[in-house]
Amino acid sequence: MFYYYLTLSLRNIASHKGLSVLIATTIGLGIAASMITYSLIYLMSKDPLPHKSDRVYHIQLDNWSLNTAAIPPDLPPEEVSWTDALNIVHAKQAKYQAANTITWGMVTPADNNIPPFLGIIRATHGEFFPMFDVPFLFGQAWQNYPRGQVENVVVLSKSTNQRIFGGINSVGQTLPMLGQLFTVIGVINDWHPSPKFFDMSLGKFYPPEDLYVPLQIKANLELPHGGNSHCWQSNIGDSYQAFLNSECVNFNLWVELSHQQDKAQFASYLEDYVTQQRALGRFPKATQNIILDIEQWLAHKKVVSSDIYVFFYLSLFFLLVCLFNAASLLSTKLTTTTGQMALRRALGASRQAIFSQCLIETIMLGCLGALIGFSLCALGLSGIKILYPEFSAFITLDMPLLIITIGISILSTVLAGLVPTIKVCMLAPADYLR
Amino acid sequence: MSDTNQSHSNTMPFSRIPFLPLLRTLIRQKYTFTMLVLQIALTLAVLSNGLFIVSQRLDILQRPTGIDETHTFALTSSGFTQSFNPQNSIKADLDALRQMPNIVNAVATYAFPFSGSSEWDELQTSTGQDEITVPAASYKLDEHGIEALGLTLLAGENFNTNEVLWQTQTTKTFPSAVIITSKLASDLFNTTDWSTVVGKTIYINATYGAVIKGVVEQLQAPWDAVGKIENSIIYPRVITRNSARYFIRTQANKLQETMVEVEDYLATSNQQRMIRKVQSIQTIKKQVYGPDIGAISILMVVIFALSIVAALGIAGLTSFNLVKRKKQIGIRRALGANKTDILSYFIAENIIQSTCGVLLGWLLALGLNVFLVSQYALPKLPLSYVVIAALCLYILGILAILKPAIKAMNISPALATRDQ
Repeated sequence: MFYYYLTLSLRNIASHKGLSVLIATTIGLGIAASMITYSLIYLMSKDPLPHKSDRVYHIQLDNWSLNTAAIPPDLPPEEVSWTDALNIVHAKQAKYQAANTITWGMVTPADNNIPPFLGIIRATHGEFFPMFDVPFLFGQAWQNYPRGQVENVVVLSKSTNQRIFGGINSVGQTLPMLGQLFTVIGVINDWHPSPKFFDMSLGKFYPPEDLYVPLQIKANLELPHGGNSHCWQSNIGDSYQAFLNSECVNFNLWVELSHQQDKAQFASYLEDYVTQQRALGRFPKATQNIILDIEQWLAHKKVVSSDIYVFFYLSLFFLLVCLFNAASLLSTKLTTTTGQMALRRALGASRQAIFSQCLIETIMLGCLGALIGFSLCALGLSGIKILYPEFSAFITLDMPLLIITIGISILSTVLAGLVPTIKVCMLAPADYLR
Repeated sequence: MSDTNQSHSNTMPFSRIPFLPLLRTLIRQKYTFTMLVLQIALTLAVLSNGLFIVSQRLDILQRPTGIDETHTFALTSSGFTQSFNPQNSIKADLDALRQMPNIVNAVATYAFPFSGSSEWDELQTSTGQDEITVPAASYKLDEHGIEALGLTLLAGENFNTNEVLWQTQTTKTFPSAVIITSKLASDLFNTTDWSTVVGKTIYINATYGAVIKGVVEQLQAPWDAVGKIENSIIYPRVITRNSARYFIRTQANKLQETMVEVEDYLATSNQQRMIRKVQSIQTIKKQVYGPDIGAISILMVVIFALSIVAALGIAGLTSFNLVKRKKQIGIRRALGANKTDILSYFIAENIIQSTCGVLLGWLLALGLNVFLVSQYALPKLPLSYVVIAALCLYILGILAILKPAIKAMNISPALATRDQ
C-alpha cells in the first residue's frame, strides 16, 4: 500500500512539476536561512571541553581601587595580577592550575635558510596542557616549575614545527629565540579551540599561538604584555619588575577541580587568600571573587554576538513566511487533485487512505525541500566564511545539523500541508463527481 | 455593480470595480487569503526591520574619518637585536621616507583611525577632581602628523619641531601644546567658533595642563570605546618602542607601487628589524568593519530572497485563481466587462490583500522591533521604514500579479459559451 501511495504521490509531484518545485524551493529557502543562522549559534556555543567543562573554572579577583571599577558597573577584572597568579598557582589547591597570557618575540632559527620571524607566544604554566586537553604530536609539556625556577623549554605548534624543523620530531632540538637558546620538549597537534575560551582578549576566535613557554620566562626575559593589561595605580614606576609587583592585571587564571563538589571548598580557599592579602595592604574593595565554569564564562563573554541572534530571529520570520507561502501553494496543489481524490473515495478508498496518500506526498515534498535547503545551507555557510574569515576555523556542517535540517524541513512541510490535506479528506465525493 | 450602465464606461476604471463580489470571493477563500495576508505581514516585519538595520550599518561605514583614506598605508617595523636603537631607527626611517618622491609625508604613530586599541584621556576646562570631563582618544604625532594623515586644520596652527617630545613608553611628561578635533572643542567649550578655542588651556586626567594650539575638522578615534568616536586629542609626542608603526601618505594613484617600494627599502636599510603588516588603510578599514559588512550582506540576501519568495507566492496563487475563474471571467467579458475591468479587478483584489497584510504587518514589525530593542539594544524602528517597506510590498504585489492578470485580461468572451 505504501509503495502504491509513493508512486501515486511521485506521479502527482511530476504532473505538477512547476508548482512542486516552487513549494520545495520555498521550504528549502526558509530552512536554509534559519539553519545557517542556527548553525552559527550552535557552532559558536559548542562546548570546547565537553567531558569536564563543568569543573574547569575561570578565576576573577577584585584587586581594584576602592572607588573605581575594573569593569563597569562594579565587576572585578577578567585577568589577575602577576602576584595573585603565582600565589594561587603555587598554592596548588586544585587538580590543575595555570595562568596564561599572550606575548611575542623574535624567533631566530639556527638554519640560515629559515628567515627569523616574530613568534606569537603563549606564556603559561605546565598544567595548562592537561587542563585543556591539548593534543600532543611529539613529546610532552613541562611540569609546573617551583616558584622562581624555570628552564628554557618551548612547546611548538604543529605549523611552527613545520616551519622550523620541516615537521620532523623535533623534541630535544635547540631553538634560538628571544635572544637565548631554548630546548624543544613538545610539539602539539592541530589545536584551535573556537571560541578561544581561555583568553579572548584579542578576539573570541583568535588563531592559536606559534609557541608556548613557561610563564616565568616572560618575567625573566621581560617579554611584552599582550592581551588585556589594565592598571589602576598611577605611579608604579618604569621598570618591568614594578609592573609585575603592581596591581596591574594581565594573566588569565584557570583551575580544574577533580569534582564539581570541590567548588565550594576552592571558593573558601580563595576567600581566605583575599583576606590574607588584605592584611598585607592589598584588596581595598570588599571581596568579590568570581568563579565561572566554561559554559558560564562563555555566556558572560557573550561569545555569540547579538548580530547573530538578530539574524536568527529574522530568519525564523523568514521561515514562517516560507511556510505560509508553501501552505497556500500546497492548498492550491491539492485542490487541483480534488477530482482524482473524489474518484478514489467513490471507488472505496477510506478517508484515512486519502489522508496517508496526501501525507506521503507532502513528506516527499519536504524531503525535496530538505535537499534544496541543505545545499543552500552549505552554500550560505561558505558565504559566511568569506564574510567573517575568523569564523572559518569552526564552520562545518556536522551530522546533528544535517539531521535537524531534514527533520525541520519534513515537519514544517507536513505542518504547512495539514490544513489543505484535512480539507481534501473531508470532501464529500459526490460533489466533485457530478 | 454598474455592468449594464454604458454611460459609465468612459469614467475611471476603478469606479467599475465590483467591490462586494470581490470581497465575497476573498472571504470564501478563507485559507489561502489568510495565508497570503500572514505572508505579507511577516514579510513587512522582516523587511522594515532588516532595512533599518542595514541603513544603520551603512551609517557606521560612512562615518567621516578626517584622514585621506585612499592614499595611505601603515606598516610595522620590529627591531629584534640587542643593539637595536628604536629612536635612531625611527628618525632614520622617517627622514628617508619623507625624501621619497611618491610620498607626501610619513609619521610614526601607533594610533590611526581603524588601528584598534588606543588610550583614552579625560579632559576638563578647569583643574580639580570634581569637574565634568569629556573623553578623548589620544593621538601622538610629530609636526608632520597633520599632513601625513591628511587632516584639515580649521583654526590655530600645527606643532613646530621643538615642541615635539621623543619619549619612551613609560615617560609620563606631558607636552604643553595640543591639537583637538572640532567635535571635542564643541563638547568642551560649547562653541563652533574654533578661533576662540585656540589658546585656551585644558586639563588632562585632572592633572596636566596644556594649551590648545589648533583645531582640526575631523579625526576619528582608533576605536569606538565610549561612543565618542569624533573626540580626539593630538599630543606632540613620539613614543619609541622596539616595534614602531609608520603611517604613510602617498601621491594620488601611487599607493600600490609605493607600498612595495617602501617595504623593499625598509627591509634592506636596517637588518636589525623586520617589516610586518604592510597594509593599506582601506584594507584595515575593511577588516575592522568586516562584521558590519557581513551583517549588511546577510540582511540584503535575506531581504532579496524574501521578496522573491513573497512575489512567487502571490504570483502562484493568482495564476491558480485565474485557472479556476477562467469561465467566470469569460462570462463577465461576454456580459459587457471590458479588458480594463478584468485587469482592475485583479489589481484591486491584490491591493486589498496587500492592505490587510500591511496593517497586520505593521503591528508585527513594531512587535519584532520591541523584542529586538529589549534583547539586543537595537534602536527604535522609525515609522518611515515601515512605510517604505509597505510601499515596496504594494509594488511587489502588483508586479507579481501582472503576468497572470494580463493573461486574464486576454481571456476571450467566447469561453463563456463553451463547456468546461
